[in-house]
Amino acid sequence: MTTTRRNFLKGLGGAAVAAGAHLDAASAFAQSGPIKIGVLPIKAGIAAQTGEFGLRGVQWATDRINASGGILGRKIELLVEEESSPKDTVERFRKLALQNKVDAVSGGISTGVGLALGPVAEELKTLWLSWDATTQKGVEESMPKAKYAFRSCDNECEAVMASILTARYFRGKIKTVAGINPDYSYGRDNWAAFVAIMKKYNMGVTPVLDLWPKLGTTEFTSHVAALQQAKPDLIFSSFWAADASIFLKQAHAVGMTANTKFVFPVAGLVHETLKKAFTPEGMILGYNTMYFEMANPSPLLRQFTKEHYEKFREWPSYESDHGYFTIVAYKAAVEKAAKASGGKWPSTDQIIQALEGIEAESLSGMRRYREDHIMEANFYQGLTTHKNRYDFVTIDPVVMMTTKQVQKPSGVGLYDWINSWKV
Amino acid sequence: MLGGVFHAATLFLVAAGLQLVFGVQKIVNLACGSFYALGAYFGVSMVTWALGAGAPQLLLLAILLASGILLAAIGPVVERVLRTIYGRDESFQMLLTFALVLMFEDVIRFFWGTSPHQMGNLYLVYGQLKAGGLTIPVYNLIVIAAGGLIAALMGGMLQRTRFGRIVRATAENPRMSAALGVDITRVYVRVFTLGTALGTVGGALVIPVTAAMSEMGIDLIVEAFAVVVIGGLGSMRGAFVGALIVGVLRAVAIATYPEMEMLAIYIIVIGVLVIRPAGLFAKAAT
Repeated sequence: MTTTRRNFLKGLGGAAVAAGAHLDAASAFAQSGPIKIGVLPIKAGIAAQTGEFGLRGVQWATDRINASGGILGRKIELLVEEESSPKDTVERFRKLALQNKVDAVSGGISTGVGLALGPVAEELKTLWLSWDATTQKGVEESMPKAKYAFRSCDNECEAVMASILTARYFRGKIKTVAGINPDYSYGRDNWAAFVAIMKKYNMGVTPVLDLWPKLGTTEFTSHVAALQQAKPDLIFSSFWAADASIFLKQAHAVGMTANTKFVFPVAGLVHETLKKAFTPEGMILGYNTMYFEMANPSPLLRQFTKEHYEKFREWPSYESDHGYFTIVAYKAAVEKAAKASGGKWPSTDQIIQALEGIEAESLSGMRRYREDHIMEANFYQGLTTHKNRYDFVTIDPVVMMTTKQVQKPSGVGLYDWINSWKV
Repeated sequence: MLGGVFHAATLFLVAAGLQLVFGVQKIVNLACGSFYALGAYFGVSMVTWALGAGAPQLLLLAILLASGILLAAIGPVVERVLRTIYGRDESFQMLLTFALVLMFEDVIRFFWGTSPHQMGNLYLVYGQLKAGGLTIPVYNLIVIAAGGLIAALMGGMLQRTRFGRIVRATAENPRMSAALGVDITRVYVRVFTLGTALGTVGGALVIPVTAAMSEMGIDLIVEAFAVVVIGGLGSMRGAFVGALIVGVLRAVAIATYPEMEMLAIYIIVIGVLVIRPAGLFAKAAT
């Protein structure tokens, strides 16, 4: 038989249908096996500890879900890869999506990586639930209509809250402010937000110095000397790794912690390194979206911190909660979507639809995904105290603010939003 | 200014290790930054152990120096690995020593985990000096003094001792030295171990001021290279002057034009490369 162009195309169409049927069969088969979730924790470098905390949250959620029968009877299987550079992380995401055929990917801390993963998640039609990474360019959203990408709260939320608390606690007590922030988008945006909010609150403060050490700097003696010279009443810093404790140690050694006020919106991420020996009381300290030592913790938080300490001899940080939430939100969405479709395992599209607006109990309380796929959570900050049983500082009082108070609404620019406040 | 000199002191120790090994063995050893990081971690562990065993806090400096010197025992092992690439193209050396950097990062993660390590507030164990409205931690002055003393000892050793003469002769002409009966292999092991000790002691000395992180050596390697370019590859005097220039310039830039912190250093690097490409003190191991 001669193969004409028309016959060939018909054959090709038939093959495609058959292949489609095969794929359907494969996905039906897959729905009876374990749910595969790819995980992308940072394992090396300055954020390795953060990655470790995130992974612990994911693992804890997974273990509990599996122990209670899984999601609609299916167990979760984690495929742990690694977040590193944007390029390499994208490759690992592709591998998880195309080779391992995961149902979803959980992870992403750096927004540099998030900006690369977002479009790839859309391209591969793979659900991506970020921990800490956003898809923000500066303070503005770069993917307002994402379908497969669900990302973390805005990067600058903690700076917004710390600025509001600065106005609350230090109004009239400061005339000059200085910033020492890591030299990348996050540090620069936080400092800009702080200065803008000081202005909005009519604090009457003058910025006298802004320093931009490279992320990962371990020696600040020259920066401390410059700050000593500038003599600010208050120092604002977005340090979130070892840099926080190193800077405070070196500032304390030259007597700077005695009279200067400090605002560290996110150093609670490395709270155990902030030793009482050099971290002053009365400093504004942020723990982002989870504080390990609430006065009245939920049974879930109490259980997690207890098990975490027993296993790792460390008190957990908020990254665990980000990780935990991605898994429980996925479970809640699958169950909600299945309920809507008569108990059948839902499609990715149905899960996405269910995720939009979903609420689930996380370690730090209720969290949700907004309809524009941005996470909503509570933020915890307060004034440092030495009155506790540890060798590091904690906070008292603990102030909680919701994302409604510290995160710009969907589709609104950060500075337009700040300017619209009635203070 | 003092902050800059403090930074210069630690930078000098790492750059001196780099210089010594290059001057004699002609190996561009990127792993000198790893020795610094290992020295910091080992220093924390040793101090924690010693204080736990009842050693008085005032012995901090002695414990740190001892831990740095003790850790230099890894020098001969690493030198044995590097022996395979003596005389090979510099790109092989860079690749192998960079591989060592990555391996040492994993070694650190294996033994000490991913959390930064620090030692409470022993930083102020020797007190603070108050002068003209300024408070200066005495420990900073000790580190600066230690850097200067080590520089003087190194200079004295190279110029005035028999071993120093052998090292200089080997650096100038290894084949002739061998022909005159010098055991080159042994000299190389000793020189490399000495270079390692400079890095490990540097890391151990700085740890009360900072916190140990697995990647802490990487940044220092980059700065050490700036020092080497300014001072001249292989020159000990160059390492000393280069470290001072980089440290002080960085401090001045931070105090005046913070945005220029790194730019200022590299403007000097480019200037030296254009005007005096071999560096200010280009001569092997002098």
